[in-house]
Amino acid sequence: MTAVFPSEEWLKGLETKLNTDGRYAEIAKNWEGDLFFFIEPEGNLKEQLTFYLDLWHGACRKVEYKPSTDAHPNPTFTLSATYNNITAILSGKLNPMTAMMTSKLKVKGSMGYMMRNVPTVLDFVRCAQEVTKEIL
Amino acid sequence: MQPILKIDLTTGATEEIVIPKEWEKDFLGGASLAARILYPSLTPELDALSPEAPLLFLTGPMTGTSGPTTGRFVICGKGPATGLWAESNIGGFWGPELRKAGYDGLWVTGKAPEPVYLWLNGSKLEVRSAAHLWGQNTYTTQDKIKDEVGEKSARVCVIGTAGEKQVLFASIMCDHGRMAGRTGMGAVMGSKNLKAVAVQGTNEIPVFDLTKYKSLRSEANRKLKEDNEAKVIREVGTAGAANYAEYLGALPVKYYTRGSFENVDNVSGAKMTETILVGRSACQGCVIACGRVVKLPGDRTKRKGPEHETMVGFGANLLNDNLESIVDLGELCDRYGMDTISASNTIGLAFHLYEKGIITKEDTGGIELKWGDVDAIEALVRLVGSREGIGDLMAQGSRSFAAHFGVEEEAVQVNGLEVAYHDPRGVSGMALSYATSPRGACHNQSDYFFVDWGHSHEELGIQFFERHAQAEKAGNVARHQNWRSVDNAIVMCIFANVEAEEKVKLINVACGLDWSVDDMMRFGERSWNLKRAINNRMGLTAANDRLPKGLLEPFPDGGSAGFVPDIRGMLSAYYEARGWDPETGKPTRGKLIELGLEDVAQDLWG
Repeated sequence: MTAVFPSEEWLKGLETKLNTDGRYAEIAKNWEGDLFFFIEPEGNLKEQLTFYLDLWHGACRKVEYKPSTDAHPNPTFTLSATYNNITAILSGKLNPMTAMMTSKLKVKGSMGYMMRNVPTVLDFVRCAQEVTKEIL
Repeated sequence: MQPILKIDLTTGATEEIVIPKEWEKDFLGGASLAARILYPSLTPELDALSPEAPLLFLTGPMTGTSGPTTGRFVICGKGPATGLWAESNIGGFWGPELRKAGYDGLWVTGKAPEPVYLWLNGSKLEVRSAAHLWGQNTYTTQDKIKDEVGEKSARVCVIGTAGEKQVLFASIMCDHGRMAGRTGMGAVMGSKNLKAVAVQGTNEIPVFDLTKYKSLRSEANRKLKEDNEAKVIREVGTAGAANYAEYLGALPVKYYTRGSFENVDNVSGAKMTETILVGRSACQGCVIACGRVVKLPGDRTKRKGPEHETMVGFGANLLNDNLESIVDLGELCDRYGMDTISASNTIGLAFHLYEKGIITKEDTGGIELKWGDVDAIEALVRLVGSREGIGDLMAQGSRSFAAHFGVEEEAVQVNGLEVAYHDPRGVSGMALSYATSPRGACHNQSDYFFVDWGHSHEELGIQFFERHAQAEKAGNVARHQNWRSVDNAIVMCIFANVEAEEKVKLINVACGLDWSVDDMMRFGERSWNLKRAINNRMGLTAANDRLPKGLLEPFPDGGSAGFVPDIRGMLSAYYEARGWDPETGKPTRGKLIELGLEDVAQDLWG
């Protein structure tokens, strides 16, 4: 299933993808952690958009579209980027490692955990790219 | 800039050298200015360990100003193992202290008749006997000298017994465990009977426009604190990327013969953070704090923990997954005063030759060299540091050690400097970094592995190419080398992500310049070509631009299985990008003149 980004349908599609993709299940089998995505307004996005994903042992236990941050006060990671940078990653124009290393994608959380799990992060991005039909 | 203090240890004569204004502008400081200053004396005939050989400690224009990671300085001369340009930069607090004493550099020549140390207290220089310190390790010597001069806040640069005995990869240490490791400057210092240099000063460090500089440095440091890479390095140290490097097949394993190491996590920055880390340490003014402070079970005191090179060199490189042993082995090298890259690489070579049956127990003095055997590794460190038994051969570096047994091609080195721990089969840009570095197989003249991981610099035309791309990235590598030449001149740590526009503004207000980013990159290109010309004059040709056999054999496994860099093709494209003559390996006359190096063009081309 593919969907237009950004939308609740897209986020649900990503949840399905993460729960059915065998490669992701294998690579992310040790991942334990939930995360917030803050997409900062830019271009076609007029106000901040927030996603929440609870990722656990190669699966996605929950997603929330535009959640309140109070609902999950201590996420394992908080990621933030401008809309143009996020869409550049989703369209393959911006390498996700480049985004992280140049701080175009800002990361809060255990950097040690992130560095141990770079393959998981990269495969998560692959799944996100594969469910993206179109970018607004 | 402030003058350079020059001392001839043979006679004790001193003089203050004032740097011409045009050199300040064209070469700034650090390794670039050192290259300009030492250019006349670095000849093919010069014996790097002779009294005539220079040893130049030089700061940069921002050293000690609390700019982003600018607490550093550089030590330059002729490499005793390479016979080429040598530079080794180092953090801590010694460089800032030298500037506070009123000097931007210390230029040592000659040889003291007996072991001595220098005590520079403000502008007063004393030459003191070090007879009682000769034979002492680097940590003890620092403490004793501070006691003797009666100033706990004095900063001390020191060699250990490895430097005294002229191990060709001996280091110079300061501020406990900060090290100028590469290119054997500790051996040069030892050859001069110079055990240490203690400094203390109280002057204000000059900055051209302090008000503007303070504002810019605050902003730069604020951004640096929030930078992802800086956060990784602060949290898990430089060894924090071990898992990722292993995943890519870019982590040297078993002396560069394997593409994977299943126990990598045991010897990673993340594991160190979880188990033995008790603190972090920083050089003067640094907001990153990459230094690790650890405590092992049973320790009563805190100790220095390993950074990436030491972790890999004494870990995966030797199939050792015992983290605590790596702390011990790193400290042992520090105390002897030896570069952990060259030491662990040469030890890896010994294990490799032993496995192949080229050396035996007869050569090792009865030590069985079984991969991962910590006792055997430690025994070799001690033999090298004291130049005893097989250690005396190993102390001459891996090229010489392998050549002694008739197998020079087995040594993983370039031009006499051992390859660092970033395998070009995993990150192909490092093939050119190693093959063309002015000081041998160095990862700091261009840490291109960061670019191959994804860290592009679009504003400088340094784009991201796929990590196994080949000749198409040659121009990119050259630009990255130019960029790092700027850092090595201002002596800014390569771990600091300071963007080009921000960096050039800092340089401008610190030095009173009006550079653009293009001017800064042209400066970097000039520096790179000057060092190249120094090496050409000392005999380096295109044939020296090469990779060792060990890096040109594909891995059977891991994230880079089957790949080898096309070094010939990459070099051809690199020469074209550089404007170098492919026949001689020299910068063309036109290129040198374009860069304002007319006298050098005259020397190289007549």
